[in-house]
Amino acid sequence: MMLIRSLILVAVLFTMALSPALAQDVTTITWLTLGWPVEPIIEEFEARNPDIKIEAEQVGFNDLFAQIQVRLGAGSAVPDVIAVDVPLVSGYAFRNWLLPLDPIFTGDEVEDWLPAAVDAGSYEGTLYAAPLSTSTQLLFYNKACFDRAGLMPPGADDRLTWEEIAEIAPKMTFDDDGDGTPDVWGFIWEQMVRIYQLQVLPESLGAPAIGEDGLTVDGVINSPEWIEAYTYYYNMFNVWNAAPQGEEFWPPDIFETGNICMFVGGPWNIPRFANNADLEIEWGVSRHPYFEDGVAATPTGSWHIGVNANTENVDAATRFVHFISTGEGAELWWREGSGDFPAQQSVLALFSTEAEFDELPMSYLRTAADEATVNPRPRAVTVGFLEYEQILQNIFQDIRNGADVEESLNLAVQRIESEMAKYR
Amino acid sequence: MRVESAGLRQDLPGHSRKQNRKPLRAFAQPALAYCLLIAGIIIVVLPLMWAAAASFTPNHKVFEYAYPFSWRALFPVDFTLEAYENLFARGFGRAVRNTFFLAVSTVIIGGAANALAGFAFGRFEFRGKNLLFLTVVMLTFMVPVDLTAIPRYILVNSFGWINTWQGLLIPGLANSLVIFLFRQFFAEIPQELIDAARVDGATWLRVLVSIIMPISKPVLVAASLLMFIGQWNSFFWPLLIAPRKEMRVVQVEISLAIGQYGTVWNELLAGSMIAAIVPILLIIPFQRYYVQAITGTGLD
Amino acid sequence: MRLSRQIIPYLFLLPALLLLIVFNLAPTIATLVESTFIMSLRSGHRVFAGFANYERIFSDPIFWKSFEVTTIFSLLVNPIQIALALALAVLINQRLPGIGVFRSIYLLPIAVSLNVTAIVWGLMLDQNSGMINGILIQFGLPRQPFLHSVDQALWSIILIASWIGVPLWSLFLLAGLQNIPPTVLEAAKIDGANAWQSFTKITLPLLRRVLAFVLVADTVANFLMFAPILLLTSGGPRLSTNLIMYETYRRGFLYGDLGASSAMLSVMLIIVFVIIGVELYVLRGHD
Repeated sequence: MMLIRSLILVAVLFTMALSPALAQDVTTITWLTLGWPVEPIIEEFEARNPDIKIEAEQVGFNDLFAQIQVRLGAGSAVPDVIAVDVPLVSGYAFRNWLLPLDPIFTGDEVEDWLPAAVDAGSYEGTLYAAPLSTSTQLLFYNKACFDRAGLMPPGADDRLTWEEIAEIAPKMTFDDDGDGTPDVWGFIWEQMVRIYQLQVLPESLGAPAIGEDGLTVDGVINSPEWIEAYTYYYNMFNVWNAAPQGEEFWPPDIFETGNICMFVGGPWNIPRFANNADLEIEWGVSRHPYFEDGVAATPTGSWHIGVNANTENVDAATRFVHFISTGEGAELWWREGSGDFPAQQSVLALFSTEAEFDELPMSYLRTAADEATVNPRPRAVTVGFLEYEQILQNIFQDIRNGADVEESLNLAVQRIESEMAKYR
Repeated sequence: MRVESAGLRQDLPGHSRKQNRKPLRAFAQPALAYCLLIAGIIIVVLPLMWAAAASFTPNHKVFEYAYPFSWRALFPVDFTLEAYENLFARGFGRAVRNTFFLAVSTVIIGGAANALAGFAFGRFEFRGKNLLFLTVVMLTFMVPVDLTAIPRYILVNSFGWINTWQGLLIPGLANSLVIFLFRQFFAEIPQELIDAARVDGATWLRVLVSIIMPISKPVLVAASLLMFIGQWNSFFWPLLIAPRKEMRVVQVEISLAIGQYGTVWNELLAGSMIAAIVPILLIIPFQRYYVQAITGTGLD
Repeated sequence: MRLSRQIIPYLFLLPALLLLIVFNLAPTIATLVESTFIMSLRSGHRVFAGFANYERIFSDPIFWKSFEVTTIFSLLVNPIQIALALALAVLINQRLPGIGVFRSIYLLPIAVSLNVTAIVWGLMLDQNSGMINGILIQFGLPRQPFLHSVDQALWSIILIASWIGVPLWSLFLLAGLQNIPPTVLEAAKIDGANAWQSFTKITLPLLRRVLAFVLVADTVANFLMFAPILLLTSGGPRLSTNLIMYETYRRGFLYGDLGASSAMLSVMLIIVFVIIGVELYVLRGHD
């Protein structure tokens, strides 16, 4: 009896699920995106465009890339709109997965975007992904550590050298319970194994991240500068023992609990710390570090938005992309959506005019807005960026865990060259 | 060599010693068994207790008592429902309903199809039987479904099934392991039972429903559990085929706690706890059947 | 009557086999076929390339490294899981007070998905704040790097796979043990056999068929597993956990190199097929 009843129930539910959606004259488009708060921007867009409905497909950060590879690779018409991590634009455009977007933006709109963001969203001169946000990095520090070590913390406009960090970080590493493992660490990178943050190490020494052809890495990522830069990285973890090696914690979390004295991280941490009422530490920021003999170089780049080349809803999809990447939509996305640094100069200008940013610590966002203009270094422009990034991430993990630097970089060359072969 | 050492081992304990040890052994053997059982239980339970406790802990305290370890790591001493509240505010309840609906549908529809196929393989002789079994059932059992997802996606996309319930459900209905279980079980049923019914003029479908099914409770329970848990825990295919909010399944919902800028550990673990508790509630009351089913399949 | 008798089994097979053929077999064949094509990434245009993809992976040291890792992994994980599963089955088959509670607890891991297991164990094994190291230092032992060490990462993956695998397969073996008539063992006892002798001489041979099934199913399951690698190590450190299945996933699903990916999958299928054949031959029945 039970079985039969549940059978009937399932049959009913099943036919309900199979019956086509009610006829409607609204176009529904899907937007493949991350776990951002997407409701405000969708509601606003739908209010302004009653003929369009946005269906957000939110996936975890680690799952996004396989999603795009499988679905766009299969030539699927869905999703219509996709979140694009900016260094992947070349690869997607090379595969003809994205719709050229030049026609939907006016000259003024394009000029409002940071030039570096427009370049990064373009491939061979055509814009394939509209800039939404950009990013930069700052040094965050816990003042108590400097006091304890008898040192002076840097000012917001000071720029420490990596050599200075190497000197002070071990002095701010403390093993309070005497178990042989520090409880307070001197330094860490927020995204400790990602090329996004680590590429500026060799770039501060003047070395490029990829060969001229966008494919060659031999002689580039195992150059003397790269070896020098990542020997520094190796030492931080393995010689000076000033940085923790695990990945299961997130540096800002342990910064908040006072277990990290300094970390290089994104401006998204500023509102986070500022709005944390329980935060007990006294913190500050300064500029992104550089090598004494080199130049200041800061990471940049963030999320763009593109349209699936196979979409059946070109008009609706491009209208949404236009809305979210320009003017009021872009401002709304910055305020209530991503929380990342905006790529529109008109929105960026709000940092200097709005009273919210007049006082510390929120005024550090003005420091960040300025830092974003100091030699921003986009990630390597290559159609094989995903391979390049993921293999280097493995390699940085190895180096962090104590593998020989030169050997590791040579292994990276071998592995990346093996992957790049398919693009030649 | 081997023979010699075996002989030695037999001689050493000797008859006289054996007799002295008997009362001691009667005591020592269960004690040893309990020790081993408890040692194993610790490995099984430690991660589950920690994950459960951590899911009721504020996110910044998730690792607080794990290192250095204290008993507090296994109990939610800083109790909060924050993670569960956030999860359900985000729509986890809908994900649970979706997954439950899918899993139950899979058990009923897929179970029927797999049982019929298992019956055919177990009770009939027909041309091409072994060939079909080897090429279709065995081969598909050996291939990881996730790694053939690209052609499957292209196929399902061509049916227009992206973001639909049928796209989520239908490709996972047939299950070669379940067909195999049914085949083994049905093959062991005495022929006389069936012959008697056939002589009375019952159709095969009737034989299956009124003779075979009533005595097949263990295999039905085992197969249902296998299918239920398989669908309940599925992640990769639902993520590809139906990522839109209204259709998210439990494992996809959990994965959203892993963000670009860090992971909300207590939410991840809270979701995992809910994901685990449902199959656990199904396994424990039915464990007797589970064992019986396998016993009855003639595998041994 | 005779005609219908011939058609009936095919009718019974139809729903399940049709589904299997459409959604499982066809994609598998498509993957095998894909391994003989090279696709232009730019235009999506495909050209028949014979064994070019195979030549490419066979001359790739990364593939051979993952081949080596997969071999070591299989040689370790399968015997370990089966030995432990057998031991566990014998233990929970004891007639002891409260054994039902123990059995229930040992079944818990089966309900937990592999993804969740991997994530939770990844946190437990963290070298800085993980609980296992938390316990080690309480006993005055040094912290271990676990997933961050070339020497320990594969063992950590084996631990994670076994946490689910051992209870799962022990369930099958428990069923086998319960099917052995107690009279047979009683008889052996009367004949003077000790516990070890009756286990090796009577229990094991009677378990042969279920052991064969468990061995085959476990081998397949471990060959196909890649979720813990994807979630925890990405094949590192220094490729020490780069199982072929993960390399296949990475090439196909992240880098879009379907030719190499499907060639690797085809190689794996052949290997799995051969291994299963050997296992079944070794454990073949005489009846």
